[in-house]
Amino acid sequence: MSSRFRASLLALGLAAFALAACDREERHSRSKPLGETIPAGESPDTIWPAQGSPPPPDPRAKLYDNNAPAMAEGQFLYNQMNCVGCHSHGGGGMGPPLMDDEWRYGGRIDQIAATIAEGRPNGMPSWRGKLTDDQIWKLAAYVRSLSGQPSKDAVASRAESMSATTPQTLTPREPAHTSDTADQ
Amino acid sequence: MRLRGPVLILPLLLSGCDYQTYQSIFSGAAAEVRQFNILFVIFLVICAIMYALVIAFLIVAILRRHRAQANVVETGRHHESDPSMRTGLIAWGVLVATGLVALAIASFFTDRSMAKAAASEKLSITVTANQWWWDVQYNSAEASKTLRTANELHLPVGVPVRITLHSNDVIHSFWVPSLAGKQDLIPGRETDITIVPRQIGIYRGQCAEFCGTQHAHMALVVNVDTYADFLKWWGHQLHPASAPTAPLAQAGYRYVTTGQCATCHSIGGTSAGGRVGPDLTHLASRRTIAAGTMPMSKGNLYGWVEDPQSIKPGSRMPTIGLEPNQLHAVVAYLETLK
Amino acid sequence: MRRVRTALLGVIAVAACAGLEACNKGQPSTAPIKSEPLQSGEHALPASAASPRDDGNWVMPSKDYAATRFSALNQITPANVSKLAIRFTFSTATTKGYEAPPLVVNGTMYLITPFPNFLYALDLTKPGAPAKWVFKPKPLAASQGVACCDVVNRGAVYDAGKIFFNTLDGQTIAVDANSGQQVWRTQLGDIQKGETITMAPLVAGGKVFVGNSGGEMGVRGWIAALDEGSGKLAWKAFNTGPDKDVLIGPRFKPFYASDQGKDLGVKTWPPDAWKIGGGTVWGWLSYDPETKLVFYGVGNPGPWNADQRPGDNKWTTGVFARDIDTGQAAWFYQTTPHDIFDHDDINEIILADIPWGNGRRPVILRPARAGFFYVQDRRTGQVLSATPYGYVNAYRGVDLKTGAMLPNPDKEPKQGRVTRDICPAAPGLKDWNPSAFSPLTGLVYIPHNNLCMDFGAMQANYIAGTPYVGADVKMYAGPGGNRGAFTAWDPVHRRAVWEIKEDLPVWSPALATGGGLVFYGTMDGWFKAVDARTGRELWKFKAGSGIIGQPISYRGPDGRQYIAVVAGVGGWAGAVVSGKMDTRDPTGALGFANAVKDLPMKTTAGGMLYVFTLPR
Repeated sequence: MSSRFRASLLALGLAAFALAACDREERHSRSKPLGETIPAGESPDTIWPAQGSPPPPDPRAKLYDNNAPAMAEGQFLYNQMNCVGCHSHGGGGMGPPLMDDEWRYGGRIDQIAATIAEGRPNGMPSWRGKLTDDQIWKLAAYVRSLSGQPSKDAVASRAESMSATTPQTLTPREPAHTSDTADQ
Repeated sequence: MRLRGPVLILPLLLSGCDYQTYQSIFSGAAAEVRQFNILFVIFLVICAIMYALVIAFLIVAILRRHRAQANVVETGRHHESDPSMRTGLIAWGVLVATGLVALAIASFFTDRSMAKAAASEKLSITVTANQWWWDVQYNSAEASKTLRTANELHLPVGVPVRITLHSNDVIHSFWVPSLAGKQDLIPGRETDITIVPRQIGIYRGQCAEFCGTQHAHMALVVNVDTYADFLKWWGHQLHPASAPTAPLAQAGYRYVTTGQCATCHSIGGTSAGGRVGPDLTHLASRRTIAAGTMPMSKGNLYGWVEDPQSIKPGSRMPTIGLEPNQLHAVVAYLETLK
Repeated sequence: MRRVRTALLGVIAVAACAGLEACNKGQPSTAPIKSEPLQSGEHALPASAASPRDDGNWVMPSKDYAATRFSALNQITPANVSKLAIRFTFSTATTKGYEAPPLVVNGTMYLITPFPNFLYALDLTKPGAPAKWVFKPKPLAASQGVACCDVVNRGAVYDAGKIFFNTLDGQTIAVDANSGQQVWRTQLGDIQKGETITMAPLVAGGKVFVGNSGGEMGVRGWIAALDEGSGKLAWKAFNTGPDKDVLIGPRFKPFYASDQGKDLGVKTWPPDAWKIGGGTVWGWLSYDPETKLVFYGVGNPGPWNADQRPGDNKWTTGVFARDIDTGQAAWFYQTTPHDIFDHDDINEIILADIPWGNGRRPVILRPARAGFFYVQDRRTGQVLSATPYGYVNAYRGVDLKTGAMLPNPDKEPKQGRVTRDICPAAPGLKDWNPSAFSPLTGLVYIPHNNLCMDFGAMQANYIAGTPYVGADVKMYAGPGGNRGAFTAWDPVHRRAVWEIKEDLPVWSPALATGGGLVFYGTMDGWFKAVDARTGRELWKFKAGSGIIGQPISYRGPDGRQYIAVVAGVGGWAGAVVSGKMDTRDPTGALGFANAVKDLPMKTTAGGMLYVFTLPR
């Protein structure tokens, strides 16, 4: 291999590496509204009888998962739509904590979006019709980041309010688990 | 400043260069701007004189050196002090010092007269900057007379008004060129600016500190009225929105108060109490939509309500995707909010 | 020369004193209003009409209308309390915060649980006190989502053969005390607006008095009176808004000028802000049968971010006296105008008589959330003294000339900033958990907190049915490092007689007994008996869960004195445990998570009744 060839190969590699990060910053502010894209009642882990399998994740989820502007906008909405009033900055209060790894109704982004849109029986309000679906997906992306699931380079940075929890860029990544839905 | 009369002529001449006076630092529509213009002229004159002198000396030096070289061989006498040179240097030093002192004194007097106005405030307004709109609150000793509006200021002529500035997110800057200089709005801090408008008219201001995607679409309209008109305006703005009578507007009212709109906007007299976005109680009485992005008109309202993201992409108002009959109803209702 | 100088100094001194006198005239005065010196041995006593002879039952959470929480039974004394032992237990099958007292009426014990608000009746005449019946009101599960501070219930009331209680989703229910059948049910609150009901009703004069909760949800606060027999609404008074809604009429005579004026419930708020301004009635009511006035405190204005509601915000964080038949207000005193710290004023109001001059003066005693122990004239609301009963830096004192609370401008929260080291914290020097008043010692036994907080105010967005707060709060221990204390307070001499420091905030109510004992519980489960005069701990028992419920004492069917308490940690302070919160977020539970991070290590959730007595 000539040194010139190696140099251009290196340059190509670096370019590919740099471009791979572009997805994280993708914004679609001018796209058409999403309409009714949030699936109703996306099931958490449960029994799939007769060897059935869980339904495939919603294709729209890819647009918001690990998307930095979505999480940043979700952080803004989380405070303004009073999620912080019930769930604090992930610690819970009137509502269950969102920063731990236990998810009653599922911790995948489309499950969280379904929870926000539908509401849940023990007091989670239903936001369908009060927030646009785009806003609900953004909120779901941010809520997911409270529990350390998305990749560290995409999570929202420290908010400019009272320092509460450790910044998400510093917390370890944790997978989601289920918890008892009868648990109040 | 007794020089006001003659010195004002220069900015007036300069203002002839502008085709408009509603957003011009030479318009002289407020006491602060006039004072600042005088200071500007003084600086301009003194610095221009100094500049001219320096250029003159430079030209003379080039020509002299040129002439000297043509006739005389190097004599090795550069370092001898020339009496006329010494006098010249001393005179130059004195001239520069005098000029600087004059500038300092002029600046001090301008600052002092601006501060004097600040001490005698008669009206208090709090402006909170958000990305990318202005939240305006008129304060009053009687709490029930406080007024919350957005993107527009009405000021009474001749009355010192102190505007307290806050920011909810990033650094913005409050700049109405015709009325005053710039003042930053810094999150976590309180800054203020005092304005004494002297001319009735309509002026435009804008955000002067880059604050994000839509910094360019963050303008402010300032109406300076007579005191009586101003009080009338304040009294009218305190009225809650009246319930609509036409069926289309009523359908719009139902949608606005129970749908996405009420989550972010408030309309006095209704159940809509959101504070994320501007207060809409008297939306139709404003001159512009979305902080100066578009002039207020029926067509622009339709466009803004239907697809704000194509007009002001990145702004916090989402594109909802209203059905056509919903859109007609909502705009019909918004138009009743005079 | 020296004589002249001395004379000159003398003149200057006199002039200076006179000048200072003149200066003092315009200054606020926090010194208590003077009364004549006391005869020795005289102390405060409960208002007699409101505290009848003890019959051994416990029919209302406050024991009597004067809110003494005093049982005259005296079999258990400091000499024998060390032998106190468990008699029987009962599991309520709930694990949320248990704040209610058991009621005992002629051999039957009634227990009202937190959500789902089961009402149990236990037969005390049989060994082991088996349940006779249980009434399940089935409140809406969604009401759990709009209850700010755990899904508690502060108690039921027995009167004329019926048990009255409220459910979390805003209903008041009357159940027949013998059969457990529902007599009537009235819907008063609307959870869609964020309203719940957690308070214990008061039953007097043929009416049931109920108030709503939701000051953190943008709710408009009210108190309602229902007819005892039918459950129909007799009157309802709001605590914000125009005079006709607040039932302010010709009878209304507030003592201080700042509370006088027309439609102050509108004028002291920005336009429309009073409609979502809070002022709920989620705490304690007292009643004076002589004047037929019901006394109650009003909760905080909303939102917590005070920059959004300039003005005095009447009629929140104050005390009302109302006529029980018509609801017309007799007087009002605003403890903290334009409240900026969530210092609800809903604490217990003890009706007492104190020595005054040559006789006695009818007063109310209030260990208030803001940190001051108020002694006020019961007839007019005039403040006779307001003395801090712990460390307070959020206020400079109470000006007794104008009745105004003097703020400390250094501690005022501002939108967009964090103000630090504010004492007392948002739950106040004492929250809802009521104190007990013993006529034997004349002391008020105050179970309270020692917490300070950092408060970051931000814009609050109003969406009905969601929180309307606008604040990030972090609480921590106050000076001394102890987060709670149990203080015996002399209201006449205005000082603490003894104080027990506790590691955790003391969130349980107090019980005083005729035997000379005081009982209270700690958040990690210790149920303690201390000597009423000296504060010496004489007995304690470790319960299965932290104690935040009212202990009671009753005479059982066998004539023996019993002590009963239900242990189930929770409430605002214990939400970390009962709500299974994550303690890594210090702002959780409106700031309490930081103060009691260690609570999950010290106790677990529960809901167990413990009944104690002396062995034979």
